[in-house]
Amino acid sequence: MIELKSIRKAYQTGSQSLTVLKGIDCTIEEGELVAIMGSSGSGKSTLLNVLGLLDDFDEGSYVLNGQNMDGLSEKAAARYRSDFLGFVFQSFNLISYKTALENVALPLYYQGVPRKERQARALSFLTKVGLADWAEHLPNQMSGGQKQRVAIARALITNPSVILADEPTGALDSVTSDEVMALLKEINGEGITIVVVTHENEIANQCDRIIRLKDGRIEGANA
Amino acid sequence: MDRDTWLEIFHTVLSNPLRTGLTGLSIALGIFILVVMQGLGAGLETGVKQTFGDDAANLMEVETGNAQLAFRGRKPNRRVELHNSDEQAMRSQMDSVPAWSRLVYRWGSTVRYGNEQGSYGLRGVDPDQREIGQVNMTAGRFVSDRDIDQRRKVAVIGGQVLADLFPRGTKPEQAVGSLIQVRGIQFAVVGTFNQTGSRWENRSVYVPFSTAQKLFSNSDVVSRVAIGTGEASIDDTRETTTSLTGWLKDRLVVHPDDAEGVWVDNRNEQAEMYRQIFGGIRLFVWFVGMMTLLAGAMGVANIMAIVVRERTKEIGVRKALGATSGSIVAQIVQEAVFLMLISGCIGLLAGTWLLQGIAPFVEHDFFSDPRVDFRSALLALGVLIFVGVISAIGPALRAVSIRPVEALRDE
Repeated sequence: MIELKSIRKAYQTGSQSLTVLKGIDCTIEEGELVAIMGSSGSGKSTLLNVLGLLDDFDEGSYVLNGQNMDGLSEKAAARYRSDFLGFVFQSFNLISYKTALENVALPLYYQGVPRKERQARALSFLTKVGLADWAEHLPNQMSGGQKQRVAIARALITNPSVILADEPTGALDSVTSDEVMALLKEINGEGITIVVVTHENEIANQCDRIIRLKDGRIEGANA
Repeated sequence: MDRDTWLEIFHTVLSNPLRTGLTGLSIALGIFILVVMQGLGAGLETGVKQTFGDDAANLMEVETGNAQLAFRGRKPNRRVELHNSDEQAMRSQMDSVPAWSRLVYRWGSTVRYGNEQGSYGLRGVDPDQREIGQVNMTAGRFVSDRDIDQRRKVAVIGGQVLADLFPRGTKPEQAVGSLIQVRGIQFAVVGTFNQTGSRWENRSVYVPFSTAQKLFSNSDVVSRVAIGTGEASIDDTRETTTSLTGWLKDRLVVHPDDAEGVWVDNRNEQAEMYRQIFGGIRLFVWFVGMMTLLAGAMGVANIMAIVVRERTKEIGVRKALGATSGSIVAQIVQEAVFLMLISGCIGLLAGTWLLQGIAPFVEHDFFSDPRVDFRSALLALGVLIFVGVISAIGPALRAVSIRPVEALRDE
């Protein structure tokens, strides 16, 4: 599903160049639940951004779902993101003035799906994450766990091949964290590849595989 | 554009009502000022045209007065007169002219019908006067060539004469065929006319030139000759004016430098002057309006820039969810255009309403019927949309340049 070869990425800060990814090789198979771990500054967020087509890379190759993601235009990247990828963020990133239902439906808006169908599909995904009753609530009327479940429903609505989760439990207590992880595992069970970036061992240990990053390189992978 | 697009627009526009209100006010004010000034300019133009423009603009008039300078043995301060023979000579030495009418005036002529009588302007004219004076006939006919040849005692009366002398409710057609007394002599009414917006034109009675000269003038003096210039260019009429003045001064023995003895009044010059003045006024009105709009547009650009800054993170999220740069730009431009259009329409309506409200109270010789014409309103709206798009481009480009990575980075 995901194939990275010698990915290198450097940021230009003033006159200095900071190499964040120093040659990443890794393969993630379809249906895997993989954790990416590493201390801050290890390059795990950058790697996630590269995987999520939110950021470009300097060298190497990236094949997603059999298609080369090298040197994409911004428009093409937006289309691939919309077609293949779903995002879950640490701080949920729900749009505050939209209801749970509208938030979940938003990706379909950018795919040009008619409003009625958007709403119906959004409601079915909210039901799936157990929040059908909260459809008309605004994010600030919901708990952290509920917000993250709304965000997961939003990530799922386009039927993505891969879900990229950046510290999905970082802002949640342990009980809610477990609920969210259970939900992710359930989704993974339906065959969707999931990549979770985390710094918590308990979370990483629930995954099939852990990719550890240190100073922009993969340290070692264990099953 | 579906309902969610509108919801987003409303949300942005209403998220800070005070800021939006102030910006909208400056746009509305800009359009308001533009509309009101444009309407006042139009009112001035209409008023001036009604007061001075009751004759055609493509016209030259020949008149005589008192010569101020001694010339070829003639004394200064003498009356110069244009006689029939002079008029005939003048006509024969000129190239063909589109219209030609001799005039002889008798102001304050008593006209009587039945027991009613009043004092009106009497004008002896040729048939071409109908074209030259743009006489708007309401019934019957104007003075004809046969009237001139046979010196018929026929009259064409103005709307006010009809209203004053005939019984209330008399229709123009009913007045045709009536007999009236003009300066004590019986005339048959053959036609009526009504000059919209002209106060003293309607208090006139036209009779054949030959009849008037014979009955009321006791001489062969022509008060005035009106010459239509048709499609001739302003430069051609200037040339004709100069050569005609020279010819007349020579024939009537007037010093070439004499300003009063004889003159040829080229109405084309006045029309040209009015055209330039009103062109200038229009330009000025649009300039001021545009500048005010520009100030408003800067306000909109500012509000959109703030909105983009406040929503950096949200725009990043939208991009992660599949929003293209195009859809982000479209959203911001739509918001700006919406804001411009709504406030612009408010200004447009307020301006139109004000003009309509004051119109009845501001009638004056030089000011009448201020109004916004539909084309100007459309143009103003077009300008608004254009300015709205322009004002949104800067903020929209900034929104596009937001990288999702940076927007989504947690502090």
